[in-house]
Amino acid sequence: MSFQVTQVGSWPRSERLLSALREKRMGRLPDEDFQRLADEEIRRCLELQIKAGVDVVVDGELRRDNFYSFLADKVSGTRLMSLAEMLDTVEDKAAFEEMLQTLDAPAFAIRNPTCVGKLERREPLAVDDLRFVRSLTDKPVKVTLPGPYLLTRAMWVTAHTQNVYGDKPVMADDVVRILREELEDLAAENVDFVQFDEPVLTEVVHSIDNKRRTFM
Amino acid sequence: MDYAAELLNRVVAGYADRMRIGLHVCRGNWSKREDVLITGDYQPLVACFQKMNVRQFVLEYATPRSGELEVVGRRMSDREIGLGCVNPRTDFAEPATEIVARCQEALEYWRPEQIFLNPDCGFGCFANRCVNVEQVAFEKLCMMVEAAQIMRTRLG
Repeated sequence: MSFQVTQVGSWPRSERLLSALREKRMGRLPDEDFQRLADEEIRRCLELQIKAGVDVVVDGELRRDNFYSFLADKVSGTRLMSLAEMLDTVEDKAAFEEMLQTLDAPAFAIRNPTCVGKLERREPLAVDDLRFVRSLTDKPVKVTLPGPYLLTRAMWVTAHTQNVYGDKPVMADDVVRILREELEDLAAENVDFVQFDEPVLTEVVHSIDNKRRTFM
Repeated sequence: MDYAAELLNRVVAGYADRMRIGLHVCRGNWSKREDVLITGDYQPLVACFQKMNVRQFVLEYATPRSGELEVVGRRMSDREIGLGCVNPRTDFAEPATEIVARCQEALEYWRPEQIFLNPDCGFGCFANRCVNVEQVAFEKLCMMVEAAQIMRTRLG
């Protein structure tokens, strides 16, 4: 088939879902209640994709806080940190804050899955999401996962990670292992399409000249 | 940069033939202000892309920020392209004719079955700051579908 139409991954969150995400994070909404609401939202997201006529569907990443922070829910040895918390460990705070402002970065919106212990996949990252979408449609499904380079850069926060892993490549070995465990499970489900996200790749290359580095 | 390719290749080793594996690379999707997002074509990354054992590259091509299609097209025509052809951050849907023109351009480097159509990025990467609303996102999907139908009809 030619010119297959699909998406990159995330779909706009409704007010209802945003508030549920917040309540869940605060520990005020039981996970099963959140999942039931997310199921409804994903069902609507799928209906819209099917109505539009796309060829390969996604679940809209509606269960995720962002495209990589959701790992904190699934991988032990991580702790979700706000930028404010991370700021405590940044040496040049003024420059960091100025950079966030210059970039118009949503500091309030970004949370990072910081590595604070030995990384182990506690539960599948996306297999359940795939199964749910498959229960709604026969169309091919694209599953999105954060790439290993993004995760290695984001999860390593020296003040928290160094005493666990010593060196970044050692932690990266575990990132690779966790993603391979996930691919094994996805392969067992005969997944159609797995997309890894590496937004930092361009960030690294294009920011060398600008001498700036973003939080990712 | 080589390290990024090495890590990804270690992840997909043994799986690349069992599923379609894609890599999405963008320059940020956190703001609606084009001037603060990263500008430049993919030239500095092409050598790294070539080392990666993935079938599809899902790239941004809906804004002038990303440069010419040719940069990737000339050297990566053995892979599939996930052609970013609508901007996930604007409030109106691009007309199908505009997307069709982009498809025509892509045909210089890829066969029709190698070309996938998608937005440049997600419609809401960071939950608290979705860059778009559902209705606009839906209209953009519709326009991509219409463009794909035009292309399929045109190519018979």
